[in-house]
Amino acid sequence: MSIIGDILTTTRDESPDESGSSVTYLIRKANVSYGRLAKILETLVEQGLLEQSSSERACRYRISPRGREFLQAYRGFREFADSFGLRI
Amino acid sequence: MALVSDSEVLEIALNLLGFVVGLALGIFSYIGFKNTGSPTLFRLNIAFFSIGIGFGVVGLGFMIELFALGYSSVDGWIQTLGIGIQTVGYFFIAFSHGIKSFFPKSRYFKSLAMPLFIIPGNSLEHIIRSISFILLVYGTIETIMSYMENRKSSTIFVAAGLGLLALGEFLGWYSVIFPKSVLYFVSLSTKIVGLGALFVPISQVPLRGGMRFGGNV
Repeated sequence: MSIIGDILTTTRDESPDESGSSVTYLIRKANVSYGRLAKILETLVEQGLLEQSSSERACRYRISPRGREFLQAYRGFREFADSFGLRI
Repeated sequence: MALVSDSEVLEIALNLLGFVVGLALGIFSYIGFKNTGSPTLFRLNIAFFSIGIGFGVVGLGFMIELFALGYSSVDGWIQTLGIGIQTVGYFFIAFSHGIKSFFPKSRYFKSLAMPLFIIPGNSLEHIIRSISFILLVYGTIETIMSYMENRKSSTIFVAAGLGLLALGEFLGWYSVIFPKSVLYFVSLSTKIVGLGALFVPISQVPLRGGMRFGGNV
């Protein structure tokens, strides 16, 4: 769950340019393997939380409006879980 | 209808208050689970629903027996059932902290815990209360340790809430020595205050309507 939060936060706040974040950039930021990240990205695109765009070399990912709403809810409930000393 | 004493009315009122508070916390956790798909929030959802329903079983059970059925005294099994359901809730809070590490092999721990099971061995209700107490103390300690790491004020409120719930269970368990005394009402009130303290984190979550996401994220 925290990886999803990290990916969405990166695509929202730290994208190097307007076209979105590359897979390589996300691997570095989320600190996960390519195989695991690819599955998570696929799920997030299916759920409509990320928008995928293809550039000349590779796919890039940008947070969707729905992803922004999810991130806001995630952060709020993460605080709630933190208060119980738990990880969401 | 049998004459209902003030203490019985107070007991019903406190239990119904616990029912409402528990359900409110459960609903909040459920909204969190539906929004994020988090298994932690799912466990908290089960925990708070169980705690709320446990209080509700006692409150509503007593109300039905005293007011609707006109019994002169309430059946003991209602209290036992309610406390048992609450214990399920406390288990899920403790489980969320990692119940696997709860059972160390140390003899020292066993020597501390065993009397809680042996002394009231003839009463199912008090055995259940002993289990609740241990689970709540575990949850309190884990939450205090989390506070040491994150230093968030809401965490200390949760720790205090769990601690008060534990104290309430202990006083309820201890009332085996002084049955039907004021100790029971102190126990019930302490538990309600403890449950109320768990509300503090909710006030820090900005809730906006219409947020619904798939559960498979």
